[in-house]
This record gives sequence, structure tokens and C-alpha cells, in this order.
Amino acid sequence: MSEKFEPNIVAFLCNWCSYAGADLAGTSRIQYPANLKIIRVMCTGRVNPLFIVNAFQQGADGVLVSGCHPGDCHYMEGNYYARRRFSLIRELLEYIGIDPRRIHMSWVSASEGAKWKDVVEKVVAEAREAGPFDQFRRNKINW
Amino acid sequence: MVDLENLRTIAKETISREDVKYFIGWREGTYGFSVSPHFVREPAEADKLIFSPLCSNNLATYLTLAEKLPVPRGQEPDTRKVALMVKGCDSRAVVQLLVERGIEREQVVVIGCPCQGVIDTKKVEQLLGQPENVVRARWEKGKIICQLPDGEKEFIKEEVLAQKCLKCRYPNPVIYDILFGEKVEPWCQEEDFQEVKEIEGLTLQERWDYWQEKFSSCIRCYSCRNVCPLCYCEDCILDRLNPTWINRSVNISENTAFQLSRAFHLAGRCIECGECERVCPVNIPLMKLNKKLSKAVKEMFDFEPGLDPEAKPLQASYRPDDKEDFIL
Amino acid sequence: MESLKLDKDKLKDFIAALDSKKVYAPQKVGETIKFAPVNGDLEVSLDFANTTVPPKEIVFPQTETMFLFEQGGTDINLTKGGAEKVLLGVRPCDARAMSVVDNLFSWDIDDPYYLDKRKKITLVGLACLEPPLNCFCPSVGGGPASTEGLDILMTDLGDAYLFQPLTPKGEQLCQLSSELLQPAGAEDNARAEELHREAEKKITREVDIKGLAEGLPSLWKSEIWKEVAEPCLGCGICTYLCPTCHCFDIQDEMEGLDGRRCRMWDSCLFKEYTLHASGHNPRPSRRERQRNRINHKFSYFVDKFGVTACVGCGRCINLCPVNIDIVDILSKVKEAL
Repeated sequence: MSEKFEPNIVAFLCNWCSYAGADLAGTSRIQYPANLKIIRVMCTGRVNPLFIVNAFQQGADGVLVSGCHPGDCHYMEGNYYARRRFSLIRELLEYIGIDPRRIHMSWVSASEGAKWKDVVEKVVAEAREAGPFDQFRRNKINW
Repeated sequence: MVDLENLRTIAKETISREDVKYFIGWREGTYGFSVSPHFVREPAEADKLIFSPLCSNNLATYLTLAEKLPVPRGQEPDTRKVALMVKGCDSRAVVQLLVERGIEREQVVVIGCPCQGVIDTKKVEQLLGQPENVVRARWEKGKIICQLPDGEKEFIKEEVLAQKCLKCRYPNPVIYDILFGEKVEPWCQEEDFQEVKEIEGLTLQERWDYWQEKFSSCIRCYSCRNVCPLCYCEDCILDRLNPTWINRSVNISENTAFQLSRAFHLAGRCIECGECERVCPVNIPLMKLNKKLSKAVKEMFDFEPGLDPEAKPLQASYRPDDKEDFIL
Repeated sequence: MESLKLDKDKLKDFIAALDSKKVYAPQKVGETIKFAPVNGDLEVSLDFANTTVPPKEIVFPQTETMFLFEQGGTDINLTKGGAEKVLLGVRPCDARAMSVVDNLFSWDIDDPYYLDKRKKITLVGLACLEPPLNCFCPSVGGGPASTEGLDILMTDLGDAYLFQPLTPKGEQLCQLSSELLQPAGAEDNARAEELHREAEKKITREVDIKGLAEGLPSLWKSEIWKEVAEPCLGCGICTYLCPTCHCFDIQDEMEGLDGRRCRMWDSCLFKEYTLHASGHNPRPSRRERQRNRINHKFSYFVDKFGVTACVGCGRCINLCPVNIDIVDILSKVKEAL
């Protein structure tokens, strides 16, 4: 392929911290890679691990889940549950051979526009290294 | 030796109780090494009950599998208890169901049966073929003895026992109302997760090659889900059409998504009875997925499900200092 | 056409001579035995008894695209027919199963997807000389050397296979590799017949199905069904892996703006099989579902097409995790009649 590979990243951002953090990065005119498809959820605790699996099925090369720092959750404890869940699905995906460089979680608060940039750059760079995801993409198998 | 007379007496007494609906145990199957769950409603039916190394079915499944049909107008729902026989591993399923409030303690009478390991019929059929007549088996002095048409045959445990039993740490029921038989000495102290480590030692590509082959053969009969005592959602995502999380079509993408979600939904809940792997008609090593999650749960959260009825479910609880070295 | 003989060590050449068609034979794929395309480096073995997955999946795949469409468009793209295929080593029960299912897919409205594949398939059967334990084909009108539905019947004579072409399709196939096949003598035919008779004697399980078609409806409210269904897990093993079960579900799948309509196996033992949009389920429990399974095979199908929709392959008995045994059920039904 002559064209440079641009990874597709699906990012689940919590409404109260990371989404606002990404917004801040935008209003502060901080440049960050445009590979993200952001899906806003009310809390990272709402991110069902199936969302991650489904994102990969539908063409994501990487997934990012981002929410409030521990202790700062708008719903007090949603991100703690999310953290447990995420750590397990990440282990499971790695176990069946999915590159862990595709699966990330971060804490980005509403005031961390600059951190948001760093996180996105790292996520995109790692997904780029991992290359296009095709292991269990739907990709019209046997259509 | 298993005292079947005693078992049948216990069953008869239990089923005669006014507050017991039925008694679930095992009976001989119709051929070879087969065994079937047996539902005793009348004392006379208790005479068919057995307990032998062939009783691998986890009967705790039937606690949640029982259909709750609408009660006709004017009738009261039957709230009597269900009595069931459990081996060590099965009893952990009962505990986990109590933890999750899938059942209430007063709904069950647990007959605990200390177990010395059950036979993997696939293993034994490879050694002996499929005998035509019903085979009886028993434990004797740490060995397994099968009664075959041409006489008795003795096996050492490693030859015929199910994989889960070789590493069993809970041969004695962790919860029971009535104990049938004597407690046995556990023969394994430490879970070493050897099979999981073998796969973890492979490269990512090798792991995917391994699992891709396994997942490709899945026919999505959902027997692994149905047989699992802890898969009891009334409205399973696999049956849902709106939204369709996992398409019904059978291909590597949907099969992987199905297998991942099945395994994940049991993270921190699987009590390792091995039923899913036993029933799989296409021999997918499902326990290697479940064990991986058990290992992760043990290492990260120092948690083992199905031991303490007072414990909180793993994924419905947290500790502020949970490990988070993976977080950016 | 006269019967022919093929030396066992020439089986590979025989397959190679059929290169204009795609050849499928029983193989171990992963941990499962099923019919898979033969390619050069795979050792072909016809020693497996019944495959775990029946060959019905070749003519009636578990998932099958019916047509493609685009969102917003009005055109549909019908899928093209497949290649000519030869199934080598099909057991007589599975071949009979196909002729049973033919009734359904050509009844009322012809089913083009099934019939196209069915027409292009040549079934080369292999007589079961060592029938597995749970086979009961003679009880349901078949036999270990039944020829129904087959184009060629092969019999293992030890060092060679005896080929008995049964249909013009089968004869054509033999002509493709005529230099490998030698004419068989009368003694070979006699030997094969003897082996077939011996094989039939080896089948121990039996059930008398006379009167079931008329009798089953009278047991509608019988306690038998409760007893049968009590241990049932409600999984799809017995129906998915049954060579005559043919129920399917139709779904649309979208990827971006492209869509396809496809059909996939369904099972009457699943709760949502009969679930209505209103939430009502006319078969609310496993009791009704198991009753339907047995009634469909031994009563409804007989009423409609005059044949029993069970060929006695024993898969449902072998693979049921809780030992629900169809032979046992039928004998209970007979007793109750």
C-alpha cells in the first residue's frame, strides 16, 4: 500500500471529564491527531466491554476509554467499576492474541487539555505501530 | 465406597418433607458412560439415584434453568424448596448464586457430596470405545473402577479424570445442609494455571492462530451458555435482536465476539466446574478462557468466586487502590 | 452400470481425477470432524464414522447470503450459484437425510438456494461396516448400506473399494476416472452384500416407529414431555447437528451502507424461536419445545410428505450433554400409546 496507514481509533469519553478535556484542547487550539472517532458516554462505568469488542468488529484499529481521575467521578464511583472491567477485558483480548497496543484507558480531567493531546498522540502512535486490525473484523465475511 | 442405600434414604426423607418441591440428583443413562440428571418427585423415584465418578453434570444449573411460567389466576405460585445434590465444584456455583441473589438460601436444600473426581467420558471412550451397556463406575482407594461387560477395569486417576478434577482444590462442598458421605482429603493445594501459562508464553500471532482455529469451529448452539449455572440472564444479549450486539451469522468475527462476551460475563464469577467445555460438541477448550480470567482475577484482585456467601460480587465492587498500571 | 473396483492406495488419484469438481471428504478440522474441501496435502481418511457436523451444511450452510442490497437503493443483487461438488464418504444415513429434506425445499415454492446446491452435488456414499453404538437406521427405514439419495455406494472390501453407481450422475463420475476403476467380479459383489448384512446385524439399538405418526398427537398433554424436557438445557446441539433438521431464521446485516439478507440455522429448542413480537410465546417451556421436536420428526413431517424426518444417525444421542435419548423417548411414547 502506497498510502500511509491511518489508524481508526474509537474513543469512549465520559461526559464530565474527558469529553470536556478534549473540548478544552480544542478551544485552546492544541493540535492533536485527527484519527479519533469520539463517542460520548455519561460515565466510563457505562462502557460495556462489548462496546470495545464491537468497535473492533466494525473497523476500529484501536480503542480508548477515558474518564475522570479516581475519586473525581461525577457519579462517585463509576470509573472504579470501569477500571476493574477494563483491566479484565484487556487481559482477555491480549490472551486471544489482540495487540495490547490497541486497547487503552486513561484519566483526563476537564482541565487537562494538554494531557489529552499527549494521550491521543500515544494512542494513535501505538495503534499505528500495531497496524491495521483485521483479526475479527466483520469485513463482509462470506457475503 | 458410596453408600447408595443411605443416599436413597436421604432423598426419600427430603422429598417427603412438605416444604420440598423436588430433589435433583443423577441417574444412570441409557448407554455406555452416560448419566442423566434425575428429578425425584415421589419417594419411589429415589431408587434410581446414583452417585459415581460418572456424575459430571453440575445440577446447580437447574436452579436457574427452571422456567417461571405465569401462574394461572386463582393459584398460588409454588414456593417450596428445591433439593439438589452438589459436588465440591457444584457447591461453589450455589454459593455464587447466593452472592448474586440469583437464588435465596431458603429456596434450596443442599445435599453436599464430597467427590473424588469425575470421569471425562471423552478420555475414557478413547481408551475403551463406547460400550453398549450402561457402565457403572466407582471410586476405590484413590482409583477409578469401571464395570464393563467383560469384567472390572481399574484406572489411575490421571488416565480418566476430567482435567478440572486433577487440579481440584475443593472436592468437599463449601456449603451444604446435609452431608452425604465422608469428607475427602484435597489432593491439590495450589492452582498453577499451567494451561493458561502455556498460551501466555506464545506470541500474539501464535495465540490468535490458536484461538482462531478454535473459534471457527463454533456452531453457536449455545450449549456452553445454557449449561452454565451462572449464565442465567432472563434476557441474554445473544438472543437480543434490537440492538443486535452479536449477529446471528456464524463466522470468525461473530464467533469471537460471542466467545469473548461469554467468557467475560463470567469473569470473577466462573467457579470452574468445566461444564461448558464438557458439553461443547465441537470441543472448544473453553476452560482455557475461563481459567485465564480466573488467573487475572486472582492476581489483580486476590479474589476467588463461590467460596463465601457474604462476599460482594467482584465486578459490582471495587477498591480505590485497584491496580492501574495500564492507565495512561 | 456394472459395479467397479478401486484400489485403496489409488484413492488419492481418484480424487485428483475429479479436479473439475470440488471434492469434500470427512476431515478433522480443529477438534471437529466435518466435511471439508480436499486439498493436496491433506491425508484423506474415510475411517471416521459419522462426522460431528452432518454434510447438510454443504447444501444448507449454517449462514447463507440470499441477496445483497444498498441502503436507500431499490435494487437487490442475488447471490450466484456455487460450484459442482462431490461429497466423498457420505454415510448412507446422511444421504437419506438429504432426500428427506429435499421434500421440504421443493414443496409449495421451490427454494432456489438449496436446490441449486443440491443439483450440483454428487454423493459418493460409503457403507457403514462398523456402525457406531447409537445408530438405529434400520428402525427408521434405512440401513448401513442404504442407497437412497446416493449416486454411488462404496463398500470397503479391505484392500479396495467396491463402487456401485446408482444414478446417471454417479456413472458420469465413474467415467471421469475410468482408467483407475476396474470392473468388479461377482465374488466382490457377493462379498459386499455379505458385509452389508453383517453390518446391519451389528446395530443393536432399535425402536418400532409404526403407529407413531397417528399416535403422537393423542399424547399432546402427556406427562412424557415433562419428563423428557426436565433435564433439557434448551441448547441447539440436537437440532443443529441433526442431518434432517432444516429450520432457519432470516436476518438483515448491515455494514456501512451495504447490506445483505442472509439465513442461518435456527432451532425449535430455543426460546426465541416461537417468541412473538407481542411477548407471547406459544411454546413457553422446554416441554412444548421437546414435544415439537419429536412430533415434527415423527408425525408432522410424515403427514405432509409421507417420510419420517429421522434417519437414525444417532448424533443427537451421542452429543446430548444430559443424555436425552431419542430412542428412549420413542420407546416411552410407544408404551404410552
